[in-house]
Amino acid sequence: MIVEYHRPKTVEAALQLLGRQKPKTVPLGGGTVLSRQATENLAVVDLQDLPLDKIEKQDAQLVIGATTTLQALVDSPLLADALRQAAALEANVNLRQVATIAGALVSGDGRSPLATVLSAMEAFMLWQPGDVKNSLGEWLPNRSKVPGKLIIQVWLPTDVTVKAEFVGRTPVDVPLVGVAVCRWRSGRIRAAVCGFGAAPLLVLDGSGTIDIESRVENACSHYYKTNLFTYKLKIIKTLIQRLLN
Amino acid sequence: MIISVRINGVTKEWEVSPAETLLMRLRKEGYFGAKFGGCSQGECGACAVLLGGVAINSCCMLAAQADGHEITTIEGIGEYPDHGWRKTEGLHVIQQAFVETGAIQCGYCTPAMVLAAKSLLAHNSAPTEEEVREALSGILCRCTGYLKPVQAILRAAAILRGEDVPPIHTEEAYLPFEPTPEAGIQPPAAPFEDTFPDRGVATQARVMPQMWVTSKTKTWKKVGQPEAKVDAVKLVQGKPAFTDDIEMRGTLIAQVLRSPHAHALIKNINVEKALALPGVATVLTYKDVPRVVYSTAGQSDPIPGPLDTFSLDKKVRFVGDRVAFIAAENEEIAKTAMELIEVEYEVLPAVLDAADAMAEGAQILHDEPEYVNFAESDPSKNLAAHIRIDIGDVEKGFAEADKIYEFDYEVPKVQQAHIEPHVVISYWDEDDRLVIRTSTQVPFHARRQLAPVLGLPIKRIRVIKPRIGGGFGGKQEVLVEDVAAHLTIATGKPVRYEYTREEEFIAARSRHPMRIRLKTGVKRDGTITANAMYCLSDTGAYGCHALTVTGNTGHKAMALYVGDGEYRKSPNIRFYADVVYTNHPPAGAFRGYGVPQGFWSVERQMERIARDLRMDPIQFRLKNALRAGELHPFSTAWSEGREPRPEIIHTVGLEECVHQGKAAIGWEQKYPDPQWRSVPGKPHLRRGIGVALVMQGTAIPYLDLGGASIKMNDDGSFNLLVGATDLGTGSDTVLAQLAAEVLGVRLEDILIYSSDTDFTPFDKGAYASSTTYISGTAVVRAAEKVAARIRQRAIRMLYGDKEEAPYTADEIILEEGKAVAPDGKSVTLAEIGHNALHHTNQEQIMAVDSYVSPVSPPPFAAQFAEVTVDIETGKVVVDKLVMAVDSGVIVNPLTASGQIEGGMTQALGYAVCEEMRYDEKGSPIERDLVDYHIFRANEMPELTTLFVETFEPSHPFGVKAVAEIPMDGVAPAVGNAILDACGAQVDANPATPPRVWEAIQAVRQK
Repeated sequence: MIVEYHRPKTVEAALQLLGRQKPKTVPLGGGTVLSRQATENLAVVDLQDLPLDKIEKQDAQLVIGATTTLQALVDSPLLADALRQAAALEANVNLRQVATIAGALVSGDGRSPLATVLSAMEAFMLWQPGDVKNSLGEWLPNRSKVPGKLIIQVWLPTDVTVKAEFVGRTPVDVPLVGVAVCRWRSGRIRAAVCGFGAAPLLVLDGSGTIDIESRVENACSHYYKTNLFTYKLKIIKTLIQRLLN
Repeated sequence: MIISVRINGVTKEWEVSPAETLLMRLRKEGYFGAKFGGCSQGECGACAVLLGGVAINSCCMLAAQADGHEITTIEGIGEYPDHGWRKTEGLHVIQQAFVETGAIQCGYCTPAMVLAAKSLLAHNSAPTEEEVREALSGILCRCTGYLKPVQAILRAAAILRGEDVPPIHTEEAYLPFEPTPEAGIQPPAAPFEDTFPDRGVATQARVMPQMWVTSKTKTWKKVGQPEAKVDAVKLVQGKPAFTDDIEMRGTLIAQVLRSPHAHALIKNINVEKALALPGVATVLTYKDVPRVVYSTAGQSDPIPGPLDTFSLDKKVRFVGDRVAFIAAENEEIAKTAMELIEVEYEVLPAVLDAADAMAEGAQILHDEPEYVNFAESDPSKNLAAHIRIDIGDVEKGFAEADKIYEFDYEVPKVQQAHIEPHVVISYWDEDDRLVIRTSTQVPFHARRQLAPVLGLPIKRIRVIKPRIGGGFGGKQEVLVEDVAAHLTIATGKPVRYEYTREEEFIAARSRHPMRIRLKTGVKRDGTITANAMYCLSDTGAYGCHALTVTGNTGHKAMALYVGDGEYRKSPNIRFYADVVYTNHPPAGAFRGYGVPQGFWSVERQMERIARDLRMDPIQFRLKNALRAGELHPFSTAWSEGREPRPEIIHTVGLEECVHQGKAAIGWEQKYPDPQWRSVPGKPHLRRGIGVALVMQGTAIPYLDLGGASIKMNDDGSFNLLVGATDLGTGSDTVLAQLAAEVLGVRLEDILIYSSDTDFTPFDKGAYASSTTYISGTAVVRAAEKVAARIRQRAIRMLYGDKEEAPYTADEIILEEGKAVAPDGKSVTLAEIGHNALHHTNQEQIMAVDSYVSPVSPPPFAAQFAEVTVDIETGKVVVDKLVMAVDSGVIVNPLTASGQIEGGMTQALGYAVCEEMRYDEKGSPIERDLVDYHIFRANEMPELTTLFVETFEPSHPFGVKAVAEIPMDGVAPAVGNAILDACGAQVDANPATPPRVWEAIQAVRQK
């Protein structure tokens, strides 16, 4: 259960609290997940007073503050439609009003539409202390290994084209399977899929002629014993072709 | 820590703990409009409040996070227009619109919806329907289907913009029509307006459903009118009307330790450490409570099923079964204590597939000597119920057929998912009587069934049913009351016990999953010669409702198609069923009560046959369907385990329903047109259209009793006391309308109260689509007795002694709050009431009556569905649902259409997404409303409800049931529409993308 609550006014103060050994201290974004946990004693550092909720364009990058809410992503004209739609699918509207992008990435699983699209876009995260930048796609499968105490920003390329499609039982259901494909002007194509395990899978990253079938099969092969594997594999291939066309 | 918030315009400081959620704090402070939906991930939204003007879930936010913020709760929105001498600003426009449009059913999620609407309209004065639906999409509603809440918000927006809005009650909604099916006269078809729009829900300017009414309907003043629900004003204000909306000093919180094993014996259980924990009041195991066998099914006596359950047992039979009860000062201590209980299990082999339950050598679930059989239950074979019904000569019928169709179908276990969880508070009153305040559909059955379990006589138990936040059959069960009651008996203190959403999934009841084999014999001209169903039904670990649910699968679904010609006179129908025990959580009652399972298979089979015979699927169905004046084929064969008695069906509006439904969905334009099935520019999409015809029942004949009492007050108002249980359906309103019609008063002059076993007459409760019909007849009878007394007194007041009166009492008309003589003289009911209580020949004008029906007249319906299928992924989007219903006379078009819309929406989940699955150890996979998806406001198809009235002669106002029939046809109509779109035969519902995709592959491989 939560045993301490702090609401620092500066990032430095937050980092100081987060640097404590005892009690275990963690950042609290919107609180939609942490507020309900009861398994271990935690101190929480509420980030709501920190200036980390901006979406800004910097050159060819979009910089999204860590405490930007999912609803702000949905509403932002700066974001690609696929990303806005993924944010809308991530949680219901009441939760989106408080849930943050960083919180969603920390707590989401392999069905997360938002993480899938961001992975396809090769998003990077900026951590403090130390201004450490790491690849979201590489970090998601290894979330326990954190390069810092606090996510400050998420960085995205803007000169790309991204598309996504998700298949659920109903239009706003948590996806059974989904694909996001991102194209760079250079011809580079990157695709991530959702529907397996604890994080989205990167299934394609390259340019020129790509053997999509074998790349997808290789990337997903770890999950061949899981429920609906054959179906998901077929649908992933179908959707990648559909999105690329 | 101290936090400061500005709540509803008032600054307050609260001392909160770091772990406390905002919802916990709000309810502690008396803001009961924020509700708890039991969820763990903020999926239901019943707890929503406005934080800084934005709707957020207060269960998913720490109270500390709200420090320094502005909060608006429903208590700050609007209130009753006057409180005696204190006038208020009244209800907010949004609240008023919710009341007027019938947007409130159980009302549990209503405060959250009103707040979400307020937030939307604060920054968008002219929202589109899509924007309204998006604003509501954070709040799950299991009752309304969202249509009327959307209409309410659009209406409120228009009013706030200063626009005129049309009245709710419009004469255009009522089309005159007297069904004459014998003569084959068709009613006028509704205009075809559909221009094949893309998916999207058109805003309905008209709130009223379209109705074709009987000639009598227009002669009534209250019956047939869209009156606002009598409980709407309190529910829209978020008043503390529900079970958990009270706080008693010293209340203990209960928790239940549940089994991690599907089947096991408790070899040892040690509660010493738990008992030693400070704050723990008691821990009860099977060693502590009396070993009394009973059934949890809330049904009339004798319960038509085996007695196979104990409050606590030394054997556990499913993952989630009860092991121990804990009562502690707070939830945290109770949960900690739960972890300190040491249990040693001897794990037994589990039966996890219904097909294995009766196999030789199968593990037996019920070997306890106390087990009490009902009918042909046989625990030595894991058989909770066994049904063998043969009508006519089925084998002869098959021999006479030109073609035999035999296919297998499967239906899943699904959850009622009422947003208010099961919740109970029990306490001893000052007379040492045990009071049980509980969210139940069956207060009187609960009292009767609990008495032996608790070792109390019935008279020492009082059950109070406050408002119920949805039930759908899930609360036709004595499921939580004994837990709190045992703990109150053990401790002497009030005890509160509320399920979490996870407990709803692992330890409540559900719809019976079934495997069905259907064999149909048909002649080349489409005449059905015989129809036989075998049903393997999984009741789970206990046999509550086992016989009756599965019996109704045959009794309703197999009764609709009797054949034609000579077969119509003597149909050949077989219904065999085995209802088996498995180590899954028990199934039970769920709206539709076995009938949706039956119609999934019957209506898929009818579609198959019609297509194979190249017949029009609707004509094929109507050719073989029951008609007015015919015998209900099952009425001589089965009656829920009691003596069957023949029953003629007097009213069948099916043909008219088909006609109007076809016109509304554009069947004639779409079904024959192959071009319509293609979606321009999207070669992977296919459209399809489907139909299903269905019937239900209305009450249980010769068994279920409803009672009502009415007393007149000295201002001409009346107290109507009923034991009938309004679980959000609007039955209180409908019963009050019936009384108001008979007594000639306004609806607000009928003060209805339901239900309390101490104060209200007996009623069987809310199930079997019976309240309007059974309890309604009791109300009419009691009202007629009261009306007779009023007329007699009116004669005396108008003309002195009876001998001098120029008229008899029968000639006095009660209307508009007056008793009016043929010569125009009148006296008000207020004067009559005052006179009776205070002045002349004083008496309390009052009456009690009750009713048991000898018949169960079926409602009928035609259900249509339109879908778009992605043939590459199997994804199905249901675009449109149209249901045309013959429910007899409609007492209240708003509440009745709300029932149809909400029922269709639940059935839509059954069609495409709802399913409870278990792993190889019998552990539930779905434990929340994320993995178990129910429809949200922003993903709904267009819903259309049409009522085609018939006048059922067995009811004083001609009514039949409306509540359950919308569950029956959506899934098969959607299945048939998928077939129409792409040829895929999906024989197991729900039609999830993988299932549809596999069926498409099967078609391609042929």
